Amino acid sequence: MQQQDAGAPRASLRLARPGLSASGWVGAAIILVYVVVALTGAAWAPYGATAILTGSPFEGASLQHPFGTDNLGRDVFSRVVLGTRSVLTMTFAATLLAVAVGGLIGIVFGYLRNWVDEIGMRIIDILISIPTLVLALLIISAVGNSLWLVVLTVAFLFAPRVARVARAATLTVVTNDYVAAALARGESTLSICLREILPNITGVMLVEFAIRCAFAIIFIGSLGFLGFGAPPPTPEWGLMINEARANATNSLWPVLAPATAMAVLVIGINLFADGLSRLIDRPGQRSAEAK
Amino acid sequence: MTASQQFVAQVKNLSVDYHGDRGWSRAVDGVSFEIANGEALGLAGESGSGKTTVAYSLMGERRGASSVGGGQVLFRGRDIFAMPERELTTIRGRSIGFVPQNPMASLTPSMKVGHQIGEMLTFHSVPVPQGTQARVAELLDSVGIPQPAKAARRYPHELSGGQQQRVAIAMALACRPDLVVLDEPTTGLDVTTQKRILQLLAELKRETGVSMLYVSHDLASLAQLCERVAVMQKGRLVEAADTASLFERPQHDYTRKLIAAIPRIDRPPAGHPGATPAGEDEAPNLLEIENLRVSYARRGLLGFGKLPAGADTVKGVSFSVQRGQTFALIGESGSGKSSIARAVAGLARPRLGTIRFAGTPLAALARQRPLHLRQKIQIIFQNPDSSLNPRKTVRSILSRPLGMFGRLDAAGREARVAELLQAVRLDPAYADRRPHQLSGGERQRVAIARALAADPELIICDEILSALDVSVQASILQLLETLQRERGLTYLFISHDLAVVRWFAQQIGVLSRGAFCEIGDTETTLSAPSSPYTMQLLDAVPRIGASPAAAASEPERRP
Repeated sequence: MQQQDAGAPRASLRLARPGLSASGWVGAAIILVYVVVALTGAAWAPYGATAILTGSPFEGASLQHPFGTDNLGRDVFSRVVLGTRSVLTMTFAATLLAVAVGGLIGIVFGYLRNWVDEIGMRIIDILISIPTLVLALLIISAVGNSLWLVVLTVAFLFAPRVARVARAATLTVVTNDYVAAALARGESTLSICLREILPNITGVMLVEFAIRCAFAIIFIGSLGFLGFGAPPPTPEWGLMINEARANATNSLWPVLAPATAMAVLVIGINLFADGLSRLIDRPGQRSAEAK
Repeated sequence: MTASQQFVAQVKNLSVDYHGDRGWSRAVDGVSFEIANGEALGLAGESGSGKTTVAYSLMGERRGASSVGGGQVLFRGRDIFAMPERELTTIRGRSIGFVPQNPMASLTPSMKVGHQIGEMLTFHSVPVPQGTQARVAELLDSVGIPQPAKAARRYPHELSGGQQQRVAIAMALACRPDLVVLDEPTTGLDVTTQKRILQLLAELKRETGVSMLYVSHDLASLAQLCERVAVMQKGRLVEAADTASLFERPQHDYTRKLIAAIPRIDRPPAGHPGATPAGEDEAPNLLEIENLRVSYARRGLLGFGKLPAGADTVKGVSFSVQRGQTFALIGESGSGKSSIARAVAGLARPRLGTIRFAGTPLAALARQRPLHLRQKIQIIFQNPDSSLNPRKTVRSILSRPLGMFGRLDAAGREARVAELLQAVRLDPAYADRRPHQLSGGERQRVAIARALAADPELIICDEILSALDVSVQASILQLLETLQRERGLTYLFISHDLAVVRWFAQQIGVLSRGAFCEIGDTETTLSAPSSPYTMQLLDAVPRIGASPAAAASEPERRP
């Protein structure tokens, strides 16, 4: 096939544009800003997270205090900035754990499709049918209250949901003959799952990871808001909202600032996840080279 | 305007461009042809030659990311690309019918077929004095579907592949169009069904006088239906001629190559090394299969219930394959030939029976077999799109069996990968490519290289040619023969195409409904078939030279 130079304007074209969509890039940029803030925040935040009376209580926005101050005169801006790190680490850790464990279970079940899968999936159905927040509160109040327990709880709650998605994705892959070829070679179950199936569902798993991250932020925030997260002086967004809620009539800044920070991050992740899934769903990987 | 009276459609110097990774490329380059009233024109060419793009442009359809680079498509003298979208919609379906390649994908699964055909009539407000239902039944009857009124109430998945394609044809003909565009309508069907569909089309053409554009890579089936054939290569029309003269006196090299590549049952392919004669010296049996029964039926009641009687897919099959020879398993889809292949490869657990390899009984599943036996038996699958992991490079695909069965270090493996690629006539530089960067034939070569990597004695070839173009099929067959001579390989070759097997296999077994109806050496079996089923199969092999008139005047056999 010969190359054509596109001189004339070509109307009404449906081009499969490679790369992330514009909204996907916006999402990626938002996430990047949060990550940078989380990594470097401690170095440039104007005040400490627990420093009280940096100004008078309930100050409005000013140059000294961009987001005002709360009831103890703590700088809301600094607290939001310093809270980023814990939110991101917890979210990332919980989701990664959920995707790793749930993903492996889902792939193995989807590959086996025997009685193990049958029983396992029914157990997963049961786990999914329990309301998440109730189960989380039950676990945390029974075992104790620590950041790592929150991470483990969230991972435990999300893993069955990830497993279901991974199993569904696996079902479309296992029918391929390369799986049969591996089987005829005598590969072990784990080897087939990790070498043959996993590379073909990474796209689905990445999207699932991004979506679960957004859920995890809200979920961890909710736990903090209900007092089942970090203990009070910690600059945790959910906790901050809860603390400031009572004084919302005096100043809205301490409520709005962490809430907005959380919302923008979730929107950013959703935009990115959406862009990512469109990128992966792009029909046909076949290119002109194949001819 | 006399031309427009004479021709249903004219394509004048049509060029179509596609936008790909490397900018615009020309997929169709200055193609001109016309279709006369009541004429069937065949459009032949390999995949990627642009024939489907031409077929779509006849309906004014521009496929995604394409644009018309020049030229015109006239339908009844009117430029189809200049028509407003509204007019196009009325022409499509009403004046130009379309039969797609895969009827399963084109029929709506959630709608009864009668309803889908009826929708064509109501959408185009075609007057049907006898009532929509009666007309639908009439249409279904005309395409040879038994009990048409009953069939109209079925969903697509309740029909067989051949019947689905008949429904698609009925749909295309519903509004009595002037032209029907058929895009590889028989490619997914087995030979006997294919033959019946071709007969049906010839009959419909004679009865209704509809013009046809028949797109196919299969010259032999084009020859049966079309008065004229146009051959496309790399977007250009290289030759267009009457069917008879095209086959007798092909002008263009490419046409000659295509014709030579068609497997002929009546004479061996060019450059055929006069196959190793069958049973000359009694070689020892490498593979012996005794009373093999495979069943996919599920036992009720947690696996303790009884199997329903007669549920076996393979019903007690016994045969043996001599070392260094080729045994062909022939049969229609559903005859159980792939089940036998899977049982030998250790992918399906036989219900009963023994499989012996070089005298040793084999365990049912591959994982229970010792390493050296897994190594000696390799399988190549039908569709290389599915048998090669799309996320892996050719190197990693070939290295895996090397690492499993061989004792090579990294450098040794690398050298062996290059060697294997050369053995299947591929450039060693292909090691860095991924399957989607290869053509269908190249992919199948990689699949063959993967089987060779294990250094096997027996290779099971499960319909390995049916997903490939005819000219590619010929070269793959040649490769298999060369490899057999060089390495003394034994093949268990599964196919539905008698013409392919005729010159390639020494022994042949004809399967029907899970049992052999004929087994013996190829020469005698095919020259004097004893079972009516074998005769029917032989009869279905498309023969070149049979004029379309002869095909059409054959007595019609409705199923």
